[in-house]
Amino acid sequence: MVSQRRFCHFANGHMNLNELLDQTAVRVPQQPALVEENAVVSYGELARQVNELAERLSALRMDPGRRVGLAFPNSGTYVALTFALWRLQVVVVPVPTECPEEEILEISEAMQLVGILTPQARCECECIAPGCYFTSLNPLAAPDNHGLNLAFIRFTSGTTSARKGVALSHETIRDRVRSANKAFGISGEDTVIWCLPMAHHFLITIVLYIEAGATLVLARHVTAKPFLDAVNRWQGTVLYAAPFHYAMWARDGSPVQIPSVRLAVSTTCALLESVAQDFFKRFGRPLVQGLGVIELGLVALNTAAPREKWSSVGRVAGDFELRIDTPDVTGCGELAVRGPGICDAYVAPWVAQEQMLRDGWFFTGDLGRLDPEGFLYLLSRKTAVINLAGRKVFPEEIEAVLNRHAAVSESRVYGRLHPHLGETVEAEIVLSSPEAKLDALPAFCREHLAAYKIPTRFTSVAALPRTPGTGKILRAAPVA
Amino acid sequence: MIAAQEIESKLLDFLKREVFAPEVALHPETDLVAEGFDSMSLVRVLLFLEQSYGFWIPEGEITGDALQNIRSLASTAARVLNAR
Repeated sequence: MVSQRRFCHFANGHMNLNELLDQTAVRVPQQPALVEENAVVSYGELARQVNELAERLSALRMDPGRRVGLAFPNSGTYVALTFALWRLQVVVVPVPTECPEEEILEISEAMQLVGILTPQARCECECIAPGCYFTSLNPLAAPDNHGLNLAFIRFTSGTTSARKGVALSHETIRDRVRSANKAFGISGEDTVIWCLPMAHHFLITIVLYIEAGATLVLARHVTAKPFLDAVNRWQGTVLYAAPFHYAMWARDGSPVQIPSVRLAVSTTCALLESVAQDFFKRFGRPLVQGLGVIELGLVALNTAAPREKWSSVGRVAGDFELRIDTPDVTGCGELAVRGPGICDAYVAPWVAQEQMLRDGWFFTGDLGRLDPEGFLYLLSRKTAVINLAGRKVFPEEIEAVLNRHAAVSESRVYGRLHPHLGETVEAEIVLSSPEAKLDALPAFCREHLAAYKIPTRFTSVAALPRTPGTGKILRAAPVA
Repeated sequence: MIAAQEIESKLLDFLKREVFAPEVALHPETDLVAEGFDSMSLVRVLLFLEQSYGFWIPEGEITGDALQNIRSLASTAARVLNAR
């Protein structure tokens, strides 16, 4: 049972996302919230777990506004810890589990983390619960959140001049979740079968499901048979996955159907027509594309015409407005968006929301066009971020590592379009001397970068392409 | 014709070097999923095979049976590759 005392906990004028969980736990305490392997956790039980973890974490005396890294794989504990930290008004910074130690250190320093939560014990850590350890870190200074009621910072790596981290307050997350659900239409009747990494996807998905009182089933296996079996066993109604997953499930050659699914959202990278068609032929359901932007939330979702306009990310979603800025003769221009749930700031260096907007509009860096019926088509990007099967890869971060190697004079990292994965990471290297070789670079990258960021191809070049005038390394859309 | 054994040996080397932590004692019959082989590991294996042999294993071939261990993965890859 959720005690009334918990609601009083937030009576300090600040909104807290735990209100969403607590309201669901009071409304439908017996409703399954999370299913992991064979264990089912109800909303009442989840709220109780969150309270218990919050009490244990409070013994660590973390002040509100302090930032904690969360380096957990997908699990019920991941969800409970996030809400427990929020309950203490602590800011959650997801740390992908694939990060090597050096990267964890970089995130810790840049985000001024007061500690990090991990499933394995690290040296000099405290056990919070079985399989949950807190390692204290000592940031040089307490972070300045500029008076915002921050809940979450998504770390985005880059060079020292790049903006590191997108910060969101409790209120902003609530607003973007509510806006997104006007498009998703998730309710307590829904069961979501989940397979994407929570460290990369959490707010307009997991938080939204919790507010709606939906059931979240954590699928451990993503290959067709166990995944489709999980969908049928738990009567999944919503799928949220990458084109790569949908291709696997549609082409497994078995006769298994998934009649309970009402919505299958394809996210993370552009959907290939062959995958959209194969999925429809196999399951009689269209794949729905959407556009999620880290600074904005869910901007568009194609629930209106997913068959007829399969390559569109749909009409504008929820309470957002969008426009194409300075379109060319074909109608193509940069996508600008305004509406609720725009991120509150960039962190390190701090850039307040009003500074990142132009006349109230956020410029996404995506190039696109709108058809006469308001369906949005994305054409390419102005930004150089590489999207590898749903993981964002920042070229500058990889170049910074490569440039430290003695064989490298300078480097350029870029994305190459891949039919199944969105993009892959490749690097062009200007060697430091005629004797220098590329051979040692993969191993060097492995020491310093998460595995998915390591270029799959290194090419030696005489010089890097540069922009005329400024002479900066040319950043372009991914190459085909 | 490429022997499954050759692919197995390359895969074992790749997984040891680039996917699993050094403390995992990997052999051709190690249960991959039990050792933490996830969606991203799979992407990296598929990319490795594409780069080494110039083909992408069709998604329909990526089954639980194929991913059981390195041996089954190599045998799937060899079958697909040799059928081309």
